[in-house]
Amino acid sequence: MVLSSIILGLKYLFTRPYTRLVPEKEPPFKTETTRGRHVLFMEKCTGCTMCQRVCPADAIQMVKVEGEWKMNRKKIFPRIDMQRCTFCAMCVEICPTGALAMTDMTGWEMTTDTKETTMYMPYQLTQPEGHKLTVTKQKWIPPPPMFKPKPKTPPKKSTR
Amino acid sequence: MGKIREVEVLLGPQHPGAPGNVAFLLKLDGERVVDADVVPGYLHRGFEKMMEYRWWEVNVVMSARFCVEDPDNFELAYVKAVEDVYGLEPPEKARRVRTIIAEMGRIQSHLFWLLFIGGVVGARYIPSWAMAAREEILKWYDYITGHRVYHHYMVPGGIRWNIPQDFQERTLKVLRFVERIVNDIKRALFDNKIFQARTRGMGILKASDAIRLGATGPVLRGSGVRHDIRIIDPYEAYDEVEFEVPIGEYGDSYDRCLVRLKEIYQSISIIRQLVGKVSTNGVYRYKIPLVAPPGEGIGRVETARGEYLIHITSTGGQTPYRVRLRTPSMAHLTTVIKHVLKNEEITIADFPVFVKSLDPCAPDLDR
Repeated sequence: MVLSSIILGLKYLFTRPYTRLVPEKEPPFKTETTRGRHVLFMEKCTGCTMCQRVCPADAIQMVKVEGEWKMNRKKIFPRIDMQRCTFCAMCVEICPTGALAMTDMTGWEMTTDTKETTMYMPYQLTQPEGHKLTVTKQKWIPPPPMFKPKPKTPPKKSTR
Repeated sequence: MGKIREVEVLLGPQHPGAPGNVAFLLKLDGERVVDADVVPGYLHRGFEKMMEYRWWEVNVVMSARFCVEDPDNFELAYVKAVEDVYGLEPPEKARRVRTIIAEMGRIQSHLFWLLFIGGVVGARYIPSWAMAAREEILKWYDYITGHRVYHHYMVPGGIRWNIPQDFQERTLKVLRFVERIVNDIKRALFDNKIFQARTRGMGILKASDAIRLGATGPVLRGSGVRHDIRIIDPYEAYDEVEFEVPIGEYGDSYDRCLVRLKEIYQSISIIRQLVGKVSTNGVYRYKIPLVAPPGEGIGRVETARGEYLIHITSTGGQTPYRVRLRTPSMAHLTTVIKHVLKNEEITIADFPVFVKSLDPCAPDLDR
């Protein structure tokens, strides 16, 4: 019994190691749907503050950005605190104009040495080089149908 | 000099033998553990209150965090409770995909438990094998849902987004890999005499005591009670599949461990039966209105650790009025441990093995 366990263990000695040397030899594991750092398309943003309201971690605040914005009369845009963000993509899902999207930039690629640099201002939320967009509003196109509750039927009158 | 009778020792929260971020105040008489008081609170975040301030759909993000190792079943219970409040029936496809995701969560939770049980009995090769299998499942999750640990894939009304084209092939490939490693773990750990000597006849919990003390899940089934919410109150797509509920014979630690191992095989079988029935076509989700009707909702699921119940009250607003959770680990870590220590001689070396055979989860205890 014990001997068979040892023999089985020896079998695994000759298999390729499952661990990977990141980042020296291999990049971190990612897929086409990995939810990572946000991208803000400022020309699409209307400043409706829906992303701020939906955020479960309170990571999004609206800040004023001076300039000419046709879509955004109030000139307010989301800034995202990556220290608080849980990368749930609720903001991407609720954005009515598709101004927010997510890239596959995650984990150690976002590490910084100061707390202040975790706050991404609107003009810093551009698409990082070498990272592709993963979660966009396209995921919910066509949009799922709306649930319509059944009208309540009045209780039947007793025949007695 | 007087003889010291009892010594108090704090085991955990930073201890390899402690199950996560939870501590035990042990009373020792020589080597024997006479009594153990659980010291919770290291992970308390007040989820029930936090959920009262977030929208119905957003609370899915909260509910995944009740248990790090098995987030999907906890998500599923919340989603079911909200659908109960709205009076909504999810699409058939969503029900099947949710069942697959939840069963995969059960497998990865049991694999994570194998890591610990291998560690505490000194079988150092088991953790690396179990983690290799779990890693494949996490990669699968990343591909389907976008995250490895917290998936947020189930939403009230269905699933968050549609499944990819090669869902079936990927799922079957992962299952083949996991099954191969679990077979090896069974041969190397469960057939091993040393492991049997450490767990057989230790931590015996009779069926009548298990019911009386509020034990659920593999702990109750290990005692020989065939109680599973998936069978007695089928939810999602469990009424479409056939599976067995493994039970133990003696109610000792080995039986509880064996029940979990057999459950991995049953979960694999459930996923294999369902994966052929889902395709990318069809409605996968109904969007729910922001404001819920007034009423109450209940979600009851069988998580990897036992029965989990969530009760939500709505007064017709954007957020729940009150949320109440019943999590499985509380009963296991308080009443069951005290009962077994009172009736049986368990040494301090065996205590971590016994506790891990109950598979408690610290975040679900504290929540």
